Amino acid sequence: MNDVLTFETMGTVVSLRGATAAAASEVRAVFAGYDHRYSLYDPSSVLSRVADGTIRLPDTPEQVRDVYALALDWRERTGGAFTPHRPDGAVDLSGVVKALAIRDAGAVLDEADVDWMISAGGDVLVRGMHRGVEPWSVGVVDPAHRDTIVGVVRLDAPRRAVATSGTAERGEHIWRRTAPTFVQATVVADDVVTADVLATAIVAGDEEDLGRFTSDVDVDVLAFGADGRVWATPGATSWVTAGAAPVP
Amino acid sequence: MRARAVVGGIVSSIAVLVIGWQLGGQPAVTAPSQSTTSGSSASGSGSSGSGSSGSTASGTGGSSVSGTFTGDATQTRYGPVQVRITVAGGKITDVTALQLTDHDGRSVQISQQAAPILRQEALAAQSASIQAVSGATFTSEGYTTSLQSAIDKAGL
Repeated sequence: MNDVLTFETMGTVVSLRGATAAAASEVRAVFAGYDHRYSLYDPSSVLSRVADGTIRLPDTPEQVRDVYALALDWRERTGGAFTPHRPDGAVDLSGVVKALAIRDAGAVLDEADVDWMISAGGDVLVRGMHRGVEPWSVGVVDPAHRDTIVGVVRLDAPRRAVATSGTAERGEHIWRRTAPTFVQATVVADDVVTADVLATAIVAGDEEDLGRFTSDVDVDVLAFGADGRVWATPGATSWVTAGAAPVP
Repeated sequence: MRARAVVGGIVSSIAVLVIGWQLGGQPAVTAPSQSTTSGSSASGSGSSGSGSSGSTASGTGGSSVSGTFTGDATQTRYGPVQVRITVAGGKITDVTALQLTDHDGRSVQISQQAAPILRQEALAAQSASIQAVSGATFTSEGYTTSLQSAIDKAGL
């Protein structure tokens, strides 16, 4: 039985499983709300009006300032590898907005007592199990061969979220400070904002940054170096090796 | 300026994973039997026609979907991208990129090249029973979106 619901938002497609029509509608509204406030493609969004000088950031709604504060906090935590500012100085919160929308959508989906999965542009958050019997499984796309899946992440609570970023990422939200060390990073974390931000920060950073993130934050990482090496935390090695226990 | 409180003191938990499949790996290429017509790009952003032929066994429990499922064509700035998957017993056994762009951004027709979804030497034991895909956007956004669409249609 096919119980997948999809809709387009934020320039990508959201896939929902385990959601009632009512919940899906509410999830859609969550994404639309974030898009309306933060899209820099929509000239009428709050953030576009901040960028063009029509509104001052301190005069924006509290929720917008809270998101900016959250992004600044991540800038500190990542030593600047992640930043909510474009090179021209404009505030760009696209690096956290999709993940925040997924997070809030998860809160909506949690109101029903069913297992669910939401995927938006390659960021995935789940609850429970797939069909109640096996972990939700997410394929990781090979950065060198995009028509190949190199690894499979099995999401097991509390590790409920996965996100991937790449160097060829849209320029709007990854600005490298140094020569590229990593071409792609996949991060699995307990929450989707952490996964998304760190995936971005790893690709924007270097080996030292990667070591620091994986020491400071409880995440698993699979990172593809520009030199062809693949980096993995102990918890991530099973994603790309055949040693993982087969699904019953 | 930036505080690194614990440089050097930490035994990093990240390690280089030794892999033999980075460049020399020869993924087995299976040739698709169909020849796809080129040039008919999807109109607008979003989806174009997508034929799917699959069957779902009525048994309870795990998925036993089999068949081929074509994802929506996804518009990228470089052209349309569309993916077809082959599913056997609820697992993806093959993926065919029907329309892709090359690294220079030119649209290319690669229907004569089907890349396997699995790196056999790495994932032989796992098969691809997946419900979602995660990849970097930009280069793979269109691909990921279309692949996700095919998976959704299969209801894996």
